[in-house]
Amino acid sequence: MSQFLTVFKKECLESWRNFSWIWVPIVFILLSIMDPLTYYYLPKLMEVVDDIPEGMLFEIPEIPAPEAVMMALIQVSSIGILIVILLTMGTIAGERKSGIAELILVKPVNHITYILAKWFAKFVLFFVAFTTGILLNWYYVNQLFGDVGLTELIYLILFYSLWIMFAISLTIFFSTIFKGPGPVAGITIGVLLSMSVISGIVSRWLPWFPNQLSTYINDLLISGKISTDLWGTAGVTVALSIILLTGSFLIFKNKKVL
Amino acid sequence: MTDVAHLLQMLWPLLVLQFILLVVALIAWFKTDETKGPKWVWLLIILFVSMIGPILFFILGRRTD
Repeated sequence: MSQFLTVFKKECLESWRNFSWIWVPIVFILLSIMDPLTYYYLPKLMEVVDDIPEGMLFEIPEIPAPEAVMMALIQVSSIGILIVILLTMGTIAGERKSGIAELILVKPVNHITYILAKWFAKFVLFFVAFTTGILLNWYYVNQLFGDVGLTELIYLILFYSLWIMFAISLTIFFSTIFKGPGPVAGITIGVLLSMSVISGIVSRWLPWFPNQLSTYINDLLISGKISTDLWGTAGVTVALSIILLTGSFLIFKNKKVL
Repeated sequence: MTDVAHLLQMLWPLLVLQFILLVVALIAWFKTDETKGPKWVWLLIILFVSMIGPILFFILGRRTD
């Protein structure tokens, strides 16, 4: 446990020193609030900025509040997840390339502890960033679009964090296989993209595919109830993450040359 | 005029956050000795590509090894 804390603290210190603890939350906040704000204020901004000829009206349909919350999730699941992958790829692959991993593992630090602590440090960073972003999005949505319950919002945060957790686990898994951050990011992104294609094709037969999480979260926001499908998908996502992490331990442990 | 005031009131967090992002990126740029590619190009990217520029610099610009 103390080893875990040491590696964890080292990771957090590193994220702090390279400013990740500042810029990642800011970017997640911007991602979460930009779209609802633009959607709401664009017509008004245009009125202020140009003199629009009389009779020319911008009719932008009003959207329900849950949809304005989902706007944040759409941004986070594209650009946000990309940032998750790009920042996670370096943690193990980069340390293997530069030889730091060997230095750490010469000391009595268990391989499992090493990976788990790194995994957890990344998860904490992105969980905090994501939660802050969504809470601010919620603030704006309640001001501009209408009410969304806090309970639903907390469920959204918890369930969607599983997807972030999965992305981190996948990246870490590949970074135990490949050396160098570039290939790791490329392959992780490739796998996630093909997963979303496959999920689109087989969703009728495999309703609990991890990529379906945001679909069910959308249903949750509208109905206010957690569906069985959401529980199922969450379960599958957690199970896959555990498998990926176990795989990472095994591969990493059996590597003779890091 | 009240419209403009209201807009500013709602939108200032966006501007402030973008500004902080820019400033932090500049600090990081200043403190980095080696960047991937010429350092002055990164300064231009940070300054002139809003929001995406600083993010690109944080992720790709700095040499970690």
